[in-house]
Amino acid sequence: MQDFIDLLNKVTPDLLRGTVVTLQIATISLVLGMIVGLPVGIGRVYGPVWLQRVLGAYVTLFQGTPLLIQLFMVYYGLPDIGITLGRLQAAFLTLGLNSAAYQAEYLRSALQAVSEGQMTAARAIGMSKWQAIQSVILPQAVRLALPAWSNEAVAMLKYTSVVFLIAVPDLMGQAKILASRYFAPIQIYLIVAVFYIALVGVAYLILTLIERRARIPGLTGDTT
Amino acid sequence: MTSPILRIEDVHKSYGSLHVLKGVSLTVQPREVVVLVGPSGSGKSTLLRCINLLNPPTKGRIWLEDQEITAPGVNQDRVRQRIGMVFQEFNLFTHLTALGNVMIGLIKVRKMRKNEARDLAMFELERVGLADRAHYYPAQLSGGQKQRVAIARALGMDPHVMLFDEPTSALDPELTGEVLAVMQKLAGEGMTMIVVSHEMGFARQVANRVVFMEGGVVVEEGTPQHMFEQPTHERTRAFLRNIMQ
Repeated sequence: MQDFIDLLNKVTPDLLRGTVVTLQIATISLVLGMIVGLPVGIGRVYGPVWLQRVLGAYVTLFQGTPLLIQLFMVYYGLPDIGITLGRLQAAFLTLGLNSAAYQAEYLRSALQAVSEGQMTAARAIGMSKWQAIQSVILPQAVRLALPAWSNEAVAMLKYTSVVFLIAVPDLMGQAKILASRYFAPIQIYLIVAVFYIALVGVAYLILTLIERRARIPGLTGDTT
Repeated sequence: MTSPILRIEDVHKSYGSLHVLKGVSLTVQPREVVVLVGPSGSGKSTLLRCINLLNPPTKGRIWLEDQEITAPGVNQDRVRQRIGMVFQEFNLFTHLTALGNVMIGLIKVRKMRKNEARDLAMFELERVGLADRAHYYPAQLSGGQKQRVAIARALGMDPHVMLFDEPTSALDPELTGEVLAVMQKLAGEGMTMIVVSHEMGFARQVANRVVFMEGGVVVEEGTPQHMFEQPTHERTRAFLRNIMQ
């Protein structure tokens, strides 16, 4: 037991450093995913047919291939066409574009779940199509998409672990280094698992609060 | 004789090979209340959606006041702002309170400031007797209350004509009265209204004119008295006899 506590003391500083990197990657990727995913989702529903096709292909590409291959393509493949990215940049870009594909799909199904009468009523009071999307459809769709989006945010915390394969010193990257330094892989990966669970737990708490704040009777909650 | 507020000339509407409106002409004077009746599928609702350009006609022309709204290049959003519409299914914005439902058009379309919009929205809610429900969400309102909020939302845009598409058909019978009372009050205030409805009591009391449509054409029109007591056409007689029972 004392050995384990000694080990814990030795590895914790490095693991905390890794945690900061993991949080950084997850946050930036989610935000990037949102910035890209929002217009992609809207375009998939309301755009002209050619645009829907192009965006559909993008979504299929990122949902249909392993994340690891996407990461390798961005980090090792792009330099072949003259685009060289740093490790962190490659991580942000890959996870961001990957997340955007998923976020766009959640938004798309939420947009389609808003009844057609909402658009009709908005147009009937003189709103343009874009005004109607912006002030009537989107505020409802975003709320409807929130539970699925929460799952995406939590999953993202764990997806980030692939970046250790391009030698980013995230939580998993640190774990790998420490595991070979102290010859104690089981103990260290166990500790790291606890770190991930703690991160996910905190994320759940925050997301539940957001969902509660955004609740509207009859839309995402009961009528009381 | 004043000039008509709405003039519909030989309007046709097709969806693919389905010919719903087959040449409808109708002229509405300011302050007039016109009740459209007819069997389902006769094109009444389609005609309303043609008038406010939600589904523009495939052929024919429509004038609102002295503007031809079916002319190419017309700003359709502007036209819709001047034509209020109330739907059978209310279509209140689910994510907004009653007040928010009335305010949003004032802010986004009429470009009012928030305070100004709130005051006018409260005024419109008072007009339909729902000031005390201003902060309720649609899901917390009864059907009749929802429909009255929908009327307030349309009134907020300061429409010149109001279209009602079966405004009481989705309501429980005991809730139709409050909606019809608001509509009657509006008519009394001089609002020009075109109402698709099978509420014959309302038609008899409030309408200046009853128009009977069938198969995408106007079969007959006249005063309620004429239409209910001595319609010229056998089809009008048969239809009205049927729904009066």
